[in-house]
Amino acid sequence: MKEILVISGKGGTGKTSLTSSFIHFTDNCIACDYDVDASNLPILLQPQKLNGYDFSAGETACIDEQSCISCGLCADICRFDAINSKYQVLTLPCEGCGFCMHVCPVQAITMQPRSSGRWFGGISKHDQAVFFAELRPGEENSGKLVAQVKMMARKMAAEKQIPLIIADGPPGIGCAVISSMVGVDLVVLVAEPSRSGFNDLQRVSQLMHLRGIKGVLIINKWDLNPGICEEIEEWAQKNKITLMGKIPFSIQIAQSITDAQIPGSNSEIKEMLFPLWENIVEQLTVV
Amino acid sequence: MQIAVASGKGGTGKTLLSTGLMKVLAEYNPVLIDADVEEPNAGLVLIQQTIETTNVNRPVPEIDLQKCTLCEKCAEICKFNALVVMADKVLVFNELCHSCGACAYLCPRAAIKEKEHPIGIIEEAKLPEYGTLLTGRLTVGEAQSPPLINATKNKKKEAELRIIDCPPGTTCAMIEAIKDSDYCLLVTEPTPFGLHDLELSLEAVGLLGIPAGLVINRWQGEEQKLVALSKRTGVPILARIPFSPELARAYMQGQDPLEAMPYLRSILTEIFSQIKGALS
Repeated sequence: MKEILVISGKGGTGKTSLTSSFIHFTDNCIACDYDVDASNLPILLQPQKLNGYDFSAGETACIDEQSCISCGLCADICRFDAINSKYQVLTLPCEGCGFCMHVCPVQAITMQPRSSGRWFGGISKHDQAVFFAELRPGEENSGKLVAQVKMMARKMAAEKQIPLIIADGPPGIGCAVISSMVGVDLVVLVAEPSRSGFNDLQRVSQLMHLRGIKGVLIINKWDLNPGICEEIEEWAQKNKITLMGKIPFSIQIAQSITDAQIPGSNSEIKEMLFPLWENIVEQLTVV
Repeated sequence: MQIAVASGKGGTGKTLLSTGLMKVLAEYNPVLIDADVEEPNAGLVLIQQTIETTNVNRPVPEIDLQKCTLCEKCAEICKFNALVVMADKVLVFNELCHSCGACAYLCPRAAIKEKEHPIGIIEEAKLPEYGTLLTGRLTVGEAQSPPLINATKNKKKEAELRIIDCPPGTTCAMIEAIKDSDYCLLVTEPTPFGLHDLELSLEAVGLLGIPAGLVINRWQGEEQKLVALSKRTGVPILARIPFSPELARAYMQGQDPLEAMPYLRSILTEIFSQIKGALS
């Protein structure tokens, strides 16, 4: 079983347009969305027969008003400003470290499990398994929720002998992206030819190299800025990142997203994207 | 006044809007804080002078093996599994540590001290015409951005006008970036993705009770669902920036968007006066 992860560093470069199309081109694969705080792949894949499960990672401190003697020690030691002047716990900043529980002289503090979000499994119109999650707004633990989605996808791949997982990654380079990269065989970098797109591409590919994962590149909307596109191509060559192809700015792709359709399900767009997918599959066989 | 510019979805135009606001509000000598520390980009579209760099660290435990008795108390209390006691030493996983300080405080042998672990830098740049830019830049490989966002926001607090370019998403990093703001501008695009992520970010902003307004970017007339959402949540639509391939191309090529689309200036000025109106 192999896993492909599509990432970009910068948001809005076309990750989900491409990921959903690649999933559409593949008969036997599992689809995953690791962008757990703004998950968009399900909007296009429209999975049915959804099962949702609560995900709880970490804890929140809870102060028992009756036993509290207002000594203030908990508020003093808390580094997250999560205890207010009335000795109530503010759940948003509380990181669940439990420091306050340990120092409380009258054992007035307990740690309660905290719901971080939900994860879902379903089946797409094309009979593919789809896994994704919804982090509760404002929560941390996005990395752990990504790991949960990944674990479920891998378990199903092993049980049903499905050879490929195709995953839509989150933006950035932080905990969710680091967690998304675990066990991945090939990273597909999607770049847009702007200064910020190029800058973010370099940072995320640095992370990919730190993790020792092979990467390939797609430049999206390349004709909006042929100058930087050329710079990106040179940079990729120097860094041994093979270019899978360039996609011109396409009103049609934008329109499919507006209509909540998988871009690759349109035959004209498929003609444009399918050769890139064939290149990726070829790269995957050599990793 | 502190205005946060946020969006659930990435690539909707946060940086376009926050740097644009900087330019039209130059008279306030504003401070722009790039709090998207994983991928900071505001500096790429502004001309910067005299950049001063500060290192940002966070504390992580360091074990004094002379004093340590391998009692495992630290591993027991650490909720993040950042400490693992071996037969002859204690392993510390800095990337898992949340810097809470519990292990150092509670070690019965006082064998744990905290040392500074570098997580990134803050760049402070004078902008020749518009004020100051503060950029937080997370070191590649570091997982936790909130401490760096917090440190970046702690600079230049005295400024009359602070604009925060926030990270995408709705997680703890976004909350860290928008908190303490007087107003939150949510930038969205009129697609199913934009709408979905906007609903989540409205929930996040609602948790903090910060007044918010919407800006629809790449507007092409179709807006029924956004109007309905605005009515349902009571969050007003402050402005619509029309879809323009010329603007997209100019912006991507690093040209000043205010030159590529001159009436963007009046849109931005109008947004600011609506914010002022909402806060008065």
